[in-house]
Amino acid sequence: MKSIFITFDQAYFNRIIEVLNKNNCRGFSYFEQVQGRGSHTGTPHYGSHAWPSMCSAIITIVPDDKVKPILAQLHEMDEETQQLGLRAFVWNIEDSI
Amino acid sequence: MSLYEGAVKKPVMTSLCFVAVAILGLFSLQKLPIDLYPDVEMNVVMVMTAYPGASAADIETNITRPLENALNAVSDLKHLTSESKENMSLITLEFEYGNDIDVLTNDVRDKLDMVKSDLPDDSENPIIFKFSSDMIPIIILSVQANESMPALYKILDDAVATPLARINGVGTVSISGAPEREVQVYVDPNKLEAYNLTVEGISAIIGAENMNVPGGTFDIGSDTYTLRVEGEFSDPRQMNDIVVGTFNGQTIYLRDVAVVNDSVEERAQEAYNNGEQGATIVIQKQTGANSVQISDAVKAALPRLQRNLPKDVKLDVIVDTSDNIHNTINGLAETVIYAMLFVTLVVFVFLGRWRATLIIAITIPISLIASFIYLFLTDSSINIISLSALSVAIGMVVDDAIVVLENVTNHIERGSEPRQAAVHGTNEVAISVIASTLTLICVFFPLTLVEGMTGVLFKELGWMVTIIMTMSIICALTLTPMLCSKLLRLQKKRSKSFIRFYGPIEKALNALDKGYGALLQWAVGHRKTVITACAAFFIASLFLTQFIGSEFMPSQDNSRIGITLETPIGTRTEISRELAMKLYHRWQEKFPEMEKVSFTVGQASTDNTFASLSDNGSYIVTYNIRLCDPNKRKRTLQEICDLLREDLALFPEIKKAEVKLGGGMAMMGGQATLDYEIYGYDFATSDTLANKLVEILSNIKGCSEVHISRNDYQPEYQVDFDREKLALYGLNLSTAAMYLRNRINGSVASKYREDGDEYDIKVMYAPQFRTSIADIENILIYNNQGNAVRVRDVGTVVERFAPPTIERKDRSRVNTVSAVISGVAMSEVVEKAAVEINKIEMPSGFNIELSGTYEDQQDSFNDLSILLVLIILLVYIVMAAQFESLKYPFLIMFSIPFAFSGVFIALSISGNTLNMMSMIGIIMLIGIVVKNGIVLIDYISLNRERGMSIRRAVVHGGESRLRPVLMTTLTTILGMVPMAISHSEGAEMWRPMAVSVIGGLTISTILTLILIPVLYSSVAGSEVKSNRKKFHKKLHRKAQLKALGIK
Repeated sequence: MKSIFITFDQAYFNRIIEVLNKNNCRGFSYFEQVQGRGSHTGTPHYGSHAWPSMCSAIITIVPDDKVKPILAQLHEMDEETQQLGLRAFVWNIEDSI
Repeated sequence: MSLYEGAVKKPVMTSLCFVAVAILGLFSLQKLPIDLYPDVEMNVVMVMTAYPGASAADIETNITRPLENALNAVSDLKHLTSESKENMSLITLEFEYGNDIDVLTNDVRDKLDMVKSDLPDDSENPIIFKFSSDMIPIIILSVQANESMPALYKILDDAVATPLARINGVGTVSISGAPEREVQVYVDPNKLEAYNLTVEGISAIIGAENMNVPGGTFDIGSDTYTLRVEGEFSDPRQMNDIVVGTFNGQTIYLRDVAVVNDSVEERAQEAYNNGEQGATIVIQKQTGANSVQISDAVKAALPRLQRNLPKDVKLDVIVDTSDNIHNTINGLAETVIYAMLFVTLVVFVFLGRWRATLIIAITIPISLIASFIYLFLTDSSINIISLSALSVAIGMVVDDAIVVLENVTNHIERGSEPRQAAVHGTNEVAISVIASTLTLICVFFPLTLVEGMTGVLFKELGWMVTIIMTMSIICALTLTPMLCSKLLRLQKKRSKSFIRFYGPIEKALNALDKGYGALLQWAVGHRKTVITACAAFFIASLFLTQFIGSEFMPSQDNSRIGITLETPIGTRTEISRELAMKLYHRWQEKFPEMEKVSFTVGQASTDNTFASLSDNGSYIVTYNIRLCDPNKRKRTLQEICDLLREDLALFPEIKKAEVKLGGGMAMMGGQATLDYEIYGYDFATSDTLANKLVEILSNIKGCSEVHISRNDYQPEYQVDFDREKLALYGLNLSTAAMYLRNRINGSVASKYREDGDEYDIKVMYAPQFRTSIADIENILIYNNQGNAVRVRDVGTVVERFAPPTIERKDRSRVNTVSAVISGVAMSEVVEKAAVEINKIEMPSGFNIELSGTYEDQQDSFNDLSILLVLIILLVYIVMAAQFESLKYPFLIMFSIPFAFSGVFIALSISGNTLNMMSMIGIIMLIGIVVKNGIVLIDYISLNRERGMSIRRAVVHGGESRLRPVLMTTLTTILGMVPMAISHSEGAEMWRPMAVSVIGGLTISTILTLILIPVLYSSVAGSEVKSNRKKFHKKLHRKAQLKALGIK
């Protein structure tokens, strides 16, 4: 089991849920309002006067074999519209109930 | 779920909501009546008290003064004016606007009840009259007739007036100029004397003979019959055979002492239409009825009525108020449509996308249509004010939608899906859109609070624009994002033909952006030069105010002229008529513009309400002139009126001539008058003062028709009876006076009835026996014993001048000198006159005050100035709240003075004056020009928050905001252009407003685009410097403390 942490411009939400659904990942946790900025490029997402756009974040725990295809599809999406901003990070899950 | 998210997620609901609004709006539009102005609340109540037999001076002391003292205590009273004339006291109470006139009327009634017991016993009860604009006639018809002239009154009454009065909404229909039928019994005083008969006796006998008497019922066999005596004359000739007495055993018939004349009344008003005698029919509406509907109905009925008339009687329309309303409203509706086209075009040029243009354009009709619902709910109408509100708003309603659309497009270009882009794009700009619209509402909402005559104009404008702007913001936050999500697509490629068409425009716009960027770069580097130049420009523009005149309302060219001429008092009708005809023929040659000329001359009968309300008399001629439409003639109404005045001045026999622009019936838009009121008790002193004033005013350029309100002392014959002698003969004064009246004026003996109509039977001396003073002196007066005595034995006939009407205002006697101002500014005349008036030595107890249009103008301008300050404060508060700063909104305020400069420049170039309409324009400008500053400063400070240096933030911010600023400004300016250049009827009214908005907005936008960034960089620069200084000081102190070893 691995967790994927996806942060993205709010506009991506529907498309990301679609990706998860296609890969049969039912469970996820969704943070609607997340602020942040990229390490190298991209505009900050602060929801402020200067930087009005906002991010959201999703954490989903998936079987190991699902990680690769999901990341590939997310990467493809990011490449298509680079200005919006989309990042995904993967952790190991030690245990769960 | 936010508003816009909901709207995007539920497109069906959103679009149907707006469809519903549109349907309701169109439904309201269909039901809305058309009128020239919004409903005016009336603020005048009149109190009429009759005291038969009293002279003007008696009326003043016994009736007018006690009433005035009591009525003065009524609350909210503005002015109390009164006229005391023979037999009648007329008090006019003018109230402050904004009060319920019904409540005030009740107040007046209470006060009258209190004082009633103090009035003389013989005086009649005071009558309260509420004045209303419904007294203004809506249609005046002219009638031409030849053979039918003697019977014209009956023909018109039966075949025209009665059917017209049946039309829904028609109030009264009065016929003037057609004399009414009257049966006259002309007696010969010599024969009466010979047979020992009197006028009274004959009168009583005629009355007794002309009778139908029911005799009750009686039974014959099984039936019941009624018994009647039908003694009424069926032909006036039957009267000849009445027995009026016996003399020496001989029967005397009426034919022996008198001539029975079945004719028309002796003294009547005569009407001439285009030189031919005829009549005029005046139609007034019922309270609250719609003028246009009524006049349409009347005009539709005319051909049908014409068919029932004899061949020689021709009906025609001289004055039709609805014509003017139709033309004015159509002209304005046209400008609204042009404005819509222009605005759409501007949006397309700047956005370069059909779909985007469609989304923006759709908000225009929806916002506008919504305001019709308001008009419908408040029982208002389509009028000049509501339509100009539409025209004003068109350019502004698109602004919000443009901002939203632009941001959504940005999101789409960055790669968002249209649906997501619409929600997030709207979310980001929602607050600033609301704030900028709020500044506009801050400008227009206070207008709804204005009271008085200006309030009538402003209230509706304020509400209309407030509602339209609110609707536009709802549209921008719901409909626009919804349409964006459905219609906008990422444009990958443009078609070749589109590039060929739009390419050059895009290139030009890009070049403009670059040029502006370079200019800003230079300006930020030369801040002092720019600020000094701008300040110099503003001060220079202030000098232009010298060349701009001021007036209250622009006068409107409705192609109508009303003229009232007075020949010396007492001139016979025949002579006045001759003069009137001469003038008519003269003008026909000199003024080919005159389409219809009708005039009335002579004394109006008392039962004709309309005619007796206006001045009439044998020496008064009243003209009603209709010119051809303004676009078909070269000379304006004002020019023609001025020429007419010059022309009239050539006739020495005319004592007083008044030329009224617009027929004197227009509520507003007539020519401005300047009234000087001379307060003081003594007649002679106030007359001298008035004459001095007339001299002063006549010498000032631009003043014409200088009149004194106090009428000339009227010459008349009075019989001074000697009471002792009267008593000796067993007579009293009233009996003696009655005898005089019955012989000269005649006594109504009875009524002659024919075909359901009644005509007076009047017994009086034949005309040839009442032409000299001797005739009057020879009148016989009989006492109770039947003994006769001649007038000359008991009194003397003397010629005297009767005291004139006594006018009072605010409880002291007043004499008004009024002048019509034309060609020059009223303020100029007032200044010049003031210099001369100060030189007059004022007798004690006298003072001169200004009133008339000037007073109204001052009142309104004061109101407006307060309003201006209030609006500026409100706008500042909204901006300070939005920026969370006190400094930057202050900077933005600097665009306002340049708006004023622009107004002055535009007004002086176009030759328009500073009046109510241009003031509205100036007030609107505050909201509009501030908006540009907000957009600029907002983006510049955003750039700084994003980490740019001040100079870069200013230049980059300016460059990227240039297009939105230009776009919103151009939509507003082009929205006004049709109003400014329109030449339709009534265009004079709103032209000053459009011109001042265009001028002010152009100048202020150009300067704002340079000055505001420059000011910003100065202020922000000094802020940075002072912060840096503070920081250095802090560091320095820390270092010092460290050196001293203190922690």
